[in-house]
Amino acid sequence: MEPVIDVVNLSKAFGPKVVLANVTFAVQEGESLAVMGGSGSGKTVLLRTIMGLLAPDSGHVSIEGKIIQELDRQELFEVRKKIGMCFQMAALFDSMSVAENIGFALKRHTPMTEAEIAGRVDECLTLVGLKDCQKLRPAELSGGMKRRVGFARAIALKPQILLFDEPTTGLDPVMTDVISRVILDLKHQLGVTTVTITHDLKSAFEIADRIALLFRGEIIACQPPEEFKANPDPVIQQFLRGDAEGPFLTDPAPPKRSTKSSASPLLVP
Amino acid sequence: MPTNLLDRLGQRVLQSLTQAGDFAVISSRAFAAAFKRPFDTPNLMHQFQAVGVNSIPVIVLTSVAISMVFAVQLSFGFRQFQAEGLASQVQGLAIVRELAPVITGLMMAGRVGSAMAAELGTMQVTEQIDALECLATDPIHFLFVPRLLASMVMLPLLTGISIYVGFWGGYALLVGVVGQSSVVYSTEFYKLLAFRDVGIALTKALVFGIIIALVGCWRGYRTQGGAEGVGNAPTSSVVTSSLWILVSDFFLTKLLLV
Ligand SMILES: Nc1ncnc2c1ncn2[C@@H]1O[C@H](COP(=O)(O)OP(=O)(O)OP(=O)(O)O)[C@@H](O)[C@H]1O
Ligand SMILES: [Mg+2]
Repeated sequence: MEPVIDVVNLSKAFGPKVVLANVTFAVQEGESLAVMGGSGSGKTVLLRTIMGLLAPDSGHVSIEGKIIQELDRQELFEVRKKIGMCFQMAALFDSMSVAENIGFALKRHTPMTEAEIAGRVDECLTLVGLKDCQKLRPAELSGGMKRRVGFARAIALKPQILLFDEPTTGLDPVMTDVISRVILDLKHQLGVTTVTITHDLKSAFEIADRIALLFRGEIIACQPPEEFKANPDPVIQQFLRGDAEGPFLTDPAPPKRSTKSSASPLLVP
Repeated sequence: MPTNLLDRLGQRVLQSLTQAGDFAVISSRAFAAAFKRPFDTPNLMHQFQAVGVNSIPVIVLTSVAISMVFAVQLSFGFRQFQAEGLASQVQGLAIVRELAPVITGLMMAGRVGSAMAAELGTMQVTEQIDALECLATDPIHFLFVPRLLASMVMLPLLTGISIYVGFWGGYALLVGVVGQSSVVYSTEFYKLLAFRDVGIALTKALVFGIIIALVGCWRGYRTQGGAEGVGNAPTSSVVTSSLWILVSDFFLTKLLLV
């Protein structure tokens, strides 16, 4: 079966800094891939390249068999209508209200009436627990609320492919679980294909059919959660443990002190 | 080092050529997109308001000031030749042909061109333009077209207002202060003018409107690098569009008057 998202030999550098080096992976229809990796390892760059917002130096991305980098703008927009993307910084339109943000694509790309759009907007907002926020402006929202509105905007058009850039970072543990459930729900009900960037191990293991780890520009593992957990690679094991000690960092980690002895004598009563 | 200097010069030339090319491509895309669906009427109305209606006070004030100062200078100048009667004729000529369109153009470059650059620049650095792309909406179509259309419609209208106000500014001075007869002023004002001159003024205003909207939007769209970039976008848009307004004014005058 042809994969829905096929990333082939993707390389991208900014000046001398190589961010992606020969990244290759494929996501099948209905599959959910979680991408993990250190901060600044190029996860966002990868997602932006998939979306066609950044041009790769070499390699290509194909979505449902269409090579993104070879499409003209009209064809590119046709492909993007099938994709929902949730930005790391939400990227809400700040001149519009929350409801207008979420209904934006519905209004432009569907023949839905105002009432139908309002209904769908309500539905999406309820999913992310922001029922009474339609009228607010993005400037009046907290960081986590913005992120959830961005999430709602991405799913409003019921796209077949969803790309999430850290949808749960900065949310409380309960909300994080809610978002994970919504992602799982979408997958089971609508069979959507998702790529989720996350730093949250728990939600990654919950939602992912496969987990990929991006390390120094390469995907060093891309396998189901159990295998990923059992992978003997020291980098992966260190990442899972969340330990500063190990091969993950280029520079040596700062020295570790035990919490008790590090307390300053001045503070001891 | 001569090679070094040559290198730098070459780089600058290449850079300007790239920029000019980019501007040309984006502009042609904006014009092409103007005829594409969906037509975004609420957005267009909003721009009419922002570009046109909200600019009326500024245009009225500057036109009053410029026309009165000009009338002072003219009446002083022509008095040297005992030809005060000519002042109103030249006033009419200058206001309609040059002052109204150019002053309107320059004021609007400062008022709305810079606002467009700042708004689009902010949208660019906060990824809102990328978000538009991801929602399968062409930013050129969504952002450029309403601003371009609004400027193309509103600049000629504002120039019309400026001419009208200019007439009364001159009237206030030449009739009210210098003491010409009001009937003479009103007829003399139009004496050196033909209908064609109003056409020239409005054509100029249309061209200035296009320059202001395209340069403002383009500078904003190409903003890079955070707050500093957003700060630079309006400045460079005002400088660039003012320069182009003055340059194109010269050529338009030459072309349209022959
Ligand atoms: N437009 C750009 N210009 C130059 N360098 C860039 C640009 N965008 C990203 N980079 C560089 O690419 C690298 C990867 O950035 P990216 O945003 O993909 O990180 P990330 O994996 O998403 O990190 P985080 O988890 O913190 O979001 C960074 O080192 C960054 O400096
Ligand atoms: Mg990121």
